[in-house]
Amino acid sequence: MVKAEPTDEILRLDDLKVHFPVKMPFVQRLLQRGETVVHAVDGVSFGIRPGEILGLVGESGCGKSTVGRACVRLVKPTAGRIFFDGQDITKLGGEKLRALRRRIQIIFQDPHASLNPAMTIGKAIGHPLRIHSSVFGPQKTGSEEFGEWIRQKVLNAMKEVGLTPEEQLYDKYPGDLSGGQKQRAVMARALILEPNLLVVDEGVSMLDMSVRAKVLELMLDLKRRHKLTYLFITHDLATAKFICDKIAIMYLGRIVEIGPAREIYADPKHPYTKALLQVIPIPDPDRRAKKVLPRGEVPDAVHPPAGCRFHPRCPAVLASCGWEARDFVDFLDEHLSDPKRAGDDETILGPIEDWRAKGLVASLETNPLKVRKAVERASAVLVEAPVAMKQAVESVSSQNRTVIVRFRSHHQLLQSNVQGRVVECLLYQ
Amino acid sequence: MYRRIRGEEIALIFQDPMTRLNPLMRIQDHFLEEIHAHESVSSTEARTRAREALVSMGIHETRIRNYPHEFSGGMRQRIMIALALVLKPSLLIADEPTTSLDVIVEAQILEILQDLKEAYHMSLLLITHNLGIVAEVCDRVAVLYAGKLVELGSVRDIFHKPLHPYTQGLLASVIHLETKELHSIEGSPPDLIAPPSGCRFHPRCSYAQPICTERIPPLVEFEPGHFAACHFGDKFL
Repeated sequence: MVKAEPTDEILRLDDLKVHFPVKMPFVQRLLQRGETVVHAVDGVSFGIRPGEILGLVGESGCGKSTVGRACVRLVKPTAGRIFFDGQDITKLGGEKLRALRRRIQIIFQDPHASLNPAMTIGKAIGHPLRIHSSVFGPQKTGSEEFGEWIRQKVLNAMKEVGLTPEEQLYDKYPGDLSGGQKQRAVMARALILEPNLLVVDEGVSMLDMSVRAKVLELMLDLKRRHKLTYLFITHDLATAKFICDKIAIMYLGRIVEIGPAREIYADPKHPYTKALLQVIPIPDPDRRAKKVLPRGEVPDAVHPPAGCRFHPRCPAVLASCGWEARDFVDFLDEHLSDPKRAGDDETILGPIEDWRAKGLVASLETNPLKVRKAVERASAVLVEAPVAMKQAVESVSSQNRTVIVRFRSHHQLLQSNVQGRVVECLLYQ
Repeated sequence: MYRRIRGEEIALIFQDPMTRLNPLMRIQDHFLEEIHAHESVSSTEARTRAREALVSMGIHETRIRNYPHEFSGGMRQRIMIALALVLKPSLLIADEPTTSLDVIVEAQILEILQDLKEAYHMSLLLITHNLGIVAEVCDRVAVLYAGKLVELGSVRDIFHKPLHPYTQGLLASVIHLETKELHSIEGSPPDLIAPPSGCRFHPRCSYAQPICTERIPPLVEFEPGHFAACHFGDKFL
């Protein structure tokens, strides 16, 4: 694993893992060996320097929000460590955790849901000051001066984020504000404690294009004036390009490429990064182009694919990327679903539900009379398979009444340094 | 009367495929209900057609007995499209069909919609706020503002020669990979209970003149096939 020296970084994640248990009935849990978990985050490491904006980009379900929540310690890490300002905060609790929360704040996607509809804007923005009053309290909590002090702080914060006229908006309720104003109120509330790190989880995705631009400009402005550091979580690479210094691309709980934004946008290395950049529409009807899209959708994170997790969808996949039995079963399923290609394959190789896929071995128990024919047919079907998958098959054989398709084991996936960034892909190993 | 047109002539797919399928009904029953509501065919034939529609969207026919929750978001949207196509409509209205989907799946669905246009000779009315998608998929564009059509024209006219200041502002505020500077339209959309007088865009328009507050601009054809509702449309030609 390539490790950066933890020098002046404000936040450092070291092989962070967050797994969520899957709820299942008691009996099923007894019958099943081992634990069933969602591998939401599965070994993520990165660092952010003060005053830097790191963009964490990926599709839904890739674990990017979980990383953000873990940084604020809203979810408990399963393994790995989180450092903030040189201090290990992985296991912090109680009063120390509360003190930490003052320095790391988080903003969520939906500003409508982030504000209490029964609390005035002024009260909501000042609320953190009351919660953390012990840190600030020169005055006695509840005293008149304390209330006035908070009011002034709130008005300043509102001015800071452009929520004006602040005196008039102070006593308004969230329902009276527009989406953009609400997001500004949420930012003011996060900034009033003067945090060092702001986690912005899809903070602009729900805003209209024209409002979005203004909130992004506000973020850049705050960064310049207060040296604020951001972890900017988004699925939108175009927005990320505009404001981020560094980019981390996540896929199914792993970072597949991380490095300076300029280099990654100019020359993406990982096939997944390439795919993500390629699908961003260009607002110019004269530049329409046929795209090479990854197949299918993000698989579920309970049983992530072996080897490189992107291999079943990757347009540049190699034989050594992690092909396994269930890839063959999926391919066969696809083959059988097309009546033109399948012919009578269904009667010999089907039904698909009878196939067992375990690690590198896919097997089908069938009629002893049909076994030989099934082996032939399975080999024939494989001819049409993607070249890389074909090459990864070690053998198609039979044992008594069972057809067996066996795959070669894959290469170990390591991170490599490529032109100023870290990529996790066999193409560069 | 409407029933004959809905589904048979004009089909509609919605924004959120997660909530549009009945979670208690198998996919097959969605198809059967729809086909039987419009045509008197045997269940066997209806089922065959349902299977064909599903397969044409790249979903295995055996999965027709599954429930909606057993499919991913992109597959559900493909099922919605299959449901819309099974009656072979001549017009498909797609209301933000990809807004709730991931970017790669979005590109996949857009590719399907484009192919359909050619394969079925079907017209498509694509409703979206995403101008990038418009540039990639559409032939003609209509721009709406506060309940009024402000500009209508070919996709090239709209993107290369926008005549209405609102269209210009909209295009400038798109954030894409080549964006160097952020632009935004000042103000916010008007209250439609008491819309602004004259041109509804005038309070936010940097070119606004006294006439804009007084007279509603008519939709004028400034070039062949390129319409705009702006008193000064010819200035931008």
